[in-house]
Amino acid sequence: MSPPHTLTPEGIESAFAERGFVCTGEVATTLYLAEVLGKPVLLEGPPGVGKTEIAKLSAELHEAQLVRLQCYEGLDEAKALYEWSYGKQMLYVQLLREKTAELLAPSADLRSALAALKAHGDEFFSRDFLLPRPLLLAITSEQPVVLLVDEVDRADEEFEAFLLEVLSDYQVSVPELGTIRARHRPRVVLTSNDTRDLSDALRRRCLYLYIDYPSLEDELRIVESRVPGVGKTLAERLVRFAQSLRKADLKKSPGIAEVVDWALALVAVGAETLSPSVLSRTLGALLKNREDVERVLAEPSRFRA
Amino acid sequence: MIPALGRFVEALRAEGVAVSPAELLDATRAAVAIDLGDRTKFRAALGATLAKSRRQRDVFHRIFDRFFATPRGEGRGTGAHRRGSAEEGGPQRPGTGGSASKKSRPREEEPPRREREARRRPHGAETRSGTPETTTRERIRTLIDEVRAARRVGRLRVVRLDRRGEDARGQELAHGGDLSKRDLARSMTTEEEREIARRVPKLVEDLRLRSGRRFRASRRGRLAARRLFRENLAHGGVPFVLPMQTSKPRRPRVVLLVDVSFSVARSAGFFLRMASEFLRIGRDARVVAFVDRPVDATVEVRRWLSRGGGAGSIASSCTPPPPARPRRRRRPGEGIAGVASTFADVLESLRGLNLDAPSDYGRALHGLLRSGLRPRGRDTVLVVLGDGRTNRLDPLPWALEEIARKVRALLWLVPEPEERWGTGDSALAAYLPFVDVAVEARDLEGLARGLAELVRRL
Repeated sequence: MSPPHTLTPEGIESAFAERGFVCTGEVATTLYLAEVLGKPVLLEGPPGVGKTEIAKLSAELHEAQLVRLQCYEGLDEAKALYEWSYGKQMLYVQLLREKTAELLAPSADLRSALAALKAHGDEFFSRDFLLPRPLLLAITSEQPVVLLVDEVDRADEEFEAFLLEVLSDYQVSVPELGTIRARHRPRVVLTSNDTRDLSDALRRRCLYLYIDYPSLEDELRIVESRVPGVGKTLAERLVRFAQSLRKADLKKSPGIAEVVDWALALVAVGAETLSPSVLSRTLGALLKNREDVERVLAEPSRFRA
Repeated sequence: MIPALGRFVEALRAEGVAVSPAELLDATRAAVAIDLGDRTKFRAALGATLAKSRRQRDVFHRIFDRFFATPRGEGRGTGAHRRGSAEEGGPQRPGTGGSASKKSRPREEEPPRREREARRRPHGAETRSGTPETTTRERIRTLIDEVRAARRVGRLRVVRLDRRGEDARGQELAHGGDLSKRDLARSMTTEEEREIARRVPKLVEDLRLRSGRRFRASRRGRLAARRLFRENLAHGGVPFVLPMQTSKPRRPRVVLLVDVSFSVARSAGFFLRMASEFLRIGRDARVVAFVDRPVDATVEVRRWLSRGGGAGSIASSCTPPPPARPRRRRRPGEGIAGVASTFADVLESLRGLNLDAPSDYGRALHGLLRSGLRPRGRDTVLVVLGDGRTNRLDPLPWALEEIARKVRALLWLVPEPEERWGTGDSALAAYLPFVDVAVEARDLEGLARGLAELVRRL
């Protein structure tokens, strides 16, 4: 059961605001609908707009454990679902060697020895030797869970298909153990940086929300709430500067996190204006590409609002 | 409520958003779960359940504004949820450039007539009532009537495709899977693009046969010997009729201004492939690509075509091109391939072109007018390929008017069914008064029709 304040869009919005996250009505309504309809949410948008943060705060609001699955190229079922602990199995086999010899001593021939082993073979493929990975952790958890499948667009299409299967029924099959069903239906948040098209099937099963860079006013609110020491004038200047950078064709546009970092850096060096010397000292907090930094430093007035 | 949602979903499907019955069910449940009196929440609820990608989201907002209109005079109050709506304080996407706001736009002194025309464009379609199907047809008829009644009476000619037999959603039922009539704006796989590319040589050949005449009929000039015999056969060879002919005027220069944004790039690729059979790109034809600003693509396109994408080696498209890179986001044009590269590669190689920016026709036209790329000279024919969807940014129609004044002819190929021209965020209504020929170039055949219009002028 969710805390009562999370059962309305307004409640979610204010709860996020209490935690310093400026949340639009669209985000709050989508999270509310995910709760009501029991569907996963797919958050898409450029890097650094707070997609992962939404999942973390969502877990905090629902007093649920956050289980994160970071996707990458080559991610497979073994790393996402479960693995057998071969080291532990081998250790147990070594330790139980004498016991095994005793067990097999009465066997007269190979067939009877195999039959004796078969009766105990499943002991090494029990839950004691199972290493649960994020998906299985989320499904088998006794507590409510928010499962964050981060940057799902980085994973391969095969993994996407597998994920689809898990998200459809919230159950997985382990051949040695049988089907494991979820005790609590986990809340699932998927994020994507839109670097490749996800399959229609996956999209259809989720509520979709595209999160763009915030407006000037929203970003100003974010900076002021995250960096209390920043003056209003400086905050406005730095946000306008960052927004003008996003309109330029930079290799990597600054996200909200970088803007907050930059604001912190400006406060740390005691800056009051965005003079060229201040920019040259602090721009590394905002831009993460050498060519971008050089381009901006060459013509800072072009970006200064 | 449910019938209204059903009609809304039908309108979305007509625009190419494939909404499944399960998603309609989700939308209904979502609508029940929220306060229907709050339009922002209602929009968010339907958006989350019905639009599942960025492109679909743009279409969704367009249709939502049209379908669930606020009463006349009331503020719409939805801008915070629409990307790029700078005047309403909505968030902006990167790469929109400094001109996302109308206030920051470069502007010239405009006479009141232009302003009236700009205001008349149907961006305010959301205040109209009635179903989208009826209003769009009425609107486009009104638009064409208005244009004809304007200063350039009778100048605009619309070339339509005969697509009777299609169903209401514009699906291709009547032509039995004829690839040259396949709507290019709809989503398709790279393999399907390759299939369609195989139809190009046949269409080019048909067009070449039609445009084989070197001389045109004229009242003056020299005697046309062949026609003299043919036309006087009925008179027993007595020359009652003296047909004359004159050589065609000097080959004009051509500027191909092509929108290469996500929804139009495929049509642009096919059109350049076909056009390269009739034009010497780099010599008497230039290619300017744009999404939100014009970029000279002549060299890159010529290189792409000379590698086997176009002139002289169209058959090479039948050989399987290298497979698309798996990690990149799939873009239209990956199936329009030469031996070494695809049209999608060409677009990605263009410096200064931001393929992810929202289309901005006003900025692109203004940039064209003010840059060295602008069409110059009365012997220039300008061909624009684009849907005119300018994301509700100022279309700056006066820029096109100035360009049109300087060229011999302006052809506009619209890769959309005629019913959709001028709907939603399309600024075609503002542009068409300055266009000589508008072609419904929604498929390969439509592009060929547009090309035929160009070839007639060569």
